[in-house]
Amino acid sequence: MSVAELKKRHIAATATVNALREQLKQKRILLLDTDVAGYARSQGRTPVSFGPTDLVCCRTLQGHTGKVYSLDWTSEKNRIVSASQDGRLIVWNSLTSQKTHAIKLPCAWVMTCAFSPNGQSVACGGLDSICSIFNLNSPNDKDGNLTVSRMLSGHKGYVSSCQYVPDEDTHLITSSGDQTCILWDVTTAQRLSVFGGEFPSGHTADVLSVSINGSNSKMFVSGSCDATARLWDTRIASRAVRTFHGHEGDVSTVKFFPDGYRFGTGSDDGTCRLFDMRTGHQLQVYHQQHDGEVPLVTSIAFSISGRLLFVGYSNGDCYVWDTLMAKVVLNLGSLQNSHEGRITCLGLSADGSALCTGSWDRNLKIWAFGGHRKVI
Amino acid sequence: MASPTRSSSPVPSLPPPRPKSPPQYPDLYGKRRELLKVQMLEREIGFLEEELKSLEGLQPASRRCKEVHDFLMANPDPLIPTNRKIRRSHRFWKWLCGKSCFNFSWICCCFSGCSLRLSMPSCCNCCPSMKCWFCRWPRCHWPRCSWPSCTWPSCTWPSCTWPSCTWPRCACLRCTCPHCTCIHCHCPHCHLPTCCCCYFCCCLEKPSCGQCCTLPSLSCPDCDPCSGCTCSCPKCTKVCHCSNCTKTCCSPCYLC
Repeated sequence: MSVAELKKRHIAATATVNALREQLKQKRILLLDTDVAGYARSQGRTPVSFGPTDLVCCRTLQGHTGKVYSLDWTSEKNRIVSASQDGRLIVWNSLTSQKTHAIKLPCAWVMTCAFSPNGQSVACGGLDSICSIFNLNSPNDKDGNLTVSRMLSGHKGYVSSCQYVPDEDTHLITSSGDQTCILWDVTTAQRLSVFGGEFPSGHTADVLSVSINGSNSKMFVSGSCDATARLWDTRIASRAVRTFHGHEGDVSTVKFFPDGYRFGTGSDDGTCRLFDMRTGHQLQVYHQQHDGEVPLVTSIAFSISGRLLFVGYSNGDCYVWDTLMAKVVLNLGSLQNSHEGRITCLGLSADGSALCTGSWDRNLKIWAFGGHRKVI
Repeated sequence: MASPTRSSSPVPSLPPPRPKSPPQYPDLYGKRRELLKVQMLEREIGFLEEELKSLEGLQPASRRCKEVHDFLMANPDPLIPTNRKIRRSHRFWKWLCGKSCFNFSWICCCFSGCSLRLSMPSCCNCCPSMKCWFCRWPRCHWPRCSWPSCTWPSCTWPSCTWPSCTWPRCACLRCTCPHCTCIHCHCPHCHLPTCCCCYFCCCLEKPSCGQCCTLPSLSCPDCDPCSGCTCSCPKCTKVCHCSNCTKTCCSPCYLC
């Protein structure tokens, strides 16, 4: 077959793919008889109501000398690791605001960090395309720096996000600008599986975020610049389980919903969406009308019950959405003592009692419920 | 010198050289790439057809919306205000707190019968700046409030500018408290104002820089008889850092 004939086949196949995608889209629209907010209204539900001092900033963690890009809580104790443009990871005691570790990184261009489930190690990655592991208990070198205990090399592009598999200190998943995600064995620094890439069907642009299902750690979801989120089974690297369309811009952040059957996404199109993992339905869109430029969604996190969806935006806002009613119930960005710049990352503590936000203003802030349990 | 002999028979002349054009190599790179793209698209077609088929008989979204609704209604959330009845006995303490807050706040907070002591001490009206949970907030100047954060306004960690200092070893914190877990500055030349971000230092001993722990109200004299060591949490088990104190205080949560 000649190149010209192949090109004709390519054009025809592209047209078929587009037609099938349009058919799928129309069929899904027909199945969307309601959304979560519509169903909740039909049941007579009302939005959560917050007073002006119900959620307050009770700690400001100062110490980074550059923009904060990423943060992660430990799964048990109240420690936080943060990664910054200053080329350092800092481990904080969130109760006392003290810094327990300040790790100077071999590559300053860090984009992501994560705590291991046992809290003994931290992982980070960035423009060096390597995921570096640090053991917090190992001794410092002669310069007083913590040395890298493992380097996970294999990505052909920047490491955008990393997360340890829950309850498995030896396995970690990374996402990358090379359009793939990788499952690693941290002990041997070997790639166990590569999800996506040229041969197996996968994302067709940079992958920006991963989230592993806390209820079923064999499943994880990834978000990409190709405007899709994809669900993966770690046992099947050859293809994504499902692809979720709907966003009109880069999917910059993904997070599983606490029930393990749904996940949320945030995008450069300014919206967040809730998808059902098993059916592929788009159950809800969280979108606020804006005059002028639409702010990008940079980060999302669900509260421990799932009722609240915290969303960080590029304009410094941090909306608290009522997940059920699809209403903004609070804007942390407008509260006293809020960040002075874009919120780049956020995360809930393991017990759900506190939210930590990281920002371009170089600070991290901890927010908690500061109100009364109201009288009936 | 002998002259060269000439051959009598003519030498046939060679035809002019005709260099051959390079052979036409097949455009393998382009063809293979194109073939790969087609294969990937055809694979994608297969996946899309599978997905279309799976939509047959799929239940509408309302079923899943109901699942989300039921899940959300079933689980409480520590960040969401809830409604609770307040018992009469607590109302008395709340009133008392409001009337004579400075003296009774700790009583109220420690009152085991207080129905609102659930992670929310009830002397919220006592702290002049913010609610009781935030009496430990650095900016609160309530005399009893100081732990655990340093409020030294000129604390500039980690921005030591001494040329020989290399952050993070130079944290500009000259705390010499043996219990302090702050990142210490070991730079002997650090000239920035230091601060004590370790609560312990304020009560036990002054750090060597001599500039730290000048915060009001929690210096050691105030620790006798431990007026600065009250903890509002009744479950507190942490040892008070004041050398004269026999009270216990703790922080079961970061908000204390």
